[in-house]
Amino acid sequence: MPDTTGLSAVFSNLSKAADKQQLFDTAERFSKLSTLFPGAGPGEPTIESLRAEVARDVERDYPALQAAGTEASDRGVLRAVKWGEKVTTAQRALIDRYTAKGDQLLDEKKLFVCEACGFIFLGDEPPEICPVCKAPSARFSTVK
Amino acid sequence: MYASRNIRLCNKDCVCLFVCPTGATDTETGQIDRLTCVDGCRICVDACPSHAIHLVVEHYPEPGPKSPSLTEAMIALCERKSEQERTAIAIADVASTAGAARLARALARSARILAEDCAREAGYMIPQCDATRELLGRIATDQDGEIRAFAEQLRGVTALKR
Ligand code: SF4
Ligand code: SF4
Repeated sequence: MPDTTGLSAVFSNLSKAADKQQLFDTAERFSKLSTLFPGAGPGEPTIESLRAEVARDVERDYPALQAAGTEASDRGVLRAVKWGEKVTTAQRALIDRYTAKGDQLLDEKKLFVCEACGFIFLGDEPPEICPVCKAPSARFSTVK
Repeated sequence: MYASRNIRLCNKDCVCLFVCPTGATDTETGQIDRLTCVDGCRICVDACPSHAIHLVVEHYPEPGPKSPSLTEAMIALCERKSEQERTAIAIADVASTAGAARLARALARSARILAEDCAREAGYMIPQCDATRELLGRIATDQDGEIRAFAEQLRGVTALKR
């Protein structure tokens, strides 16, 4: 079972699952429960430390999970690992581009996040379909 | 199972209004009236030319068994992604420019979605599954106050839906 660090995401995911089943009260309750688990505070709140964490997932965790998922023939895990690896690699690339160019990178551009897989897109409009999970553009939210 | 209309796909004013035996499709809200919809009927589902109606399932099967070690690994990744989300939120809070804050918020949202996907594949797929019930049970025992109250309410809901 997850310790409190991951519980917020466990419950926000269950809120989405309830919402898709049109169990709106249940969705609301899971959503509220999700906000009651803020979890442990972060280490150092710098983009460098976040980059190191993200890079570690790409280099170490995803390859290990890919092997474990193949071994267990768990299609669901393999799907999540495939999307997650791509999304995380794109996060790292975006951090690197920002580190190189600074705020200029984002000038006059919008940031969109695919609500299905987490892919971040920088541009004027969201892509017609998500390059990672193939969700339509309507699934992208705009980061304010 | 009752019918539900996706109003983004619906072209309005057509056959579901004609075929429904109870008038459940003809409402001012754009949504089908769940109380008068006949359980499992699905005539409107098959008749709709826009594929805008589906049946909402009320009983879900228990997800298949998961390898315990893989489950643990997915939970561990869920926790790492959750930590990254918090780091990104903290970065946004102290960012010196609007651009840096916006980038951090995008990274936070992305990390949350990844954490949720890990939770799903760690077995917390739907409210009505054993993993969720067990987790809510543990929380109802370990925690108190508002958290316990929510966990207890949700345990009731997720138990009933089986
Ligand atoms: S039949 Fe389909 S498209 Fe026509 S009104 Fe009903 S839901 Fe909308
Ligand atoms: S499923 Fe049958 S009863 Fe329910 S809304 Fe459609 S046509 Fe009407």
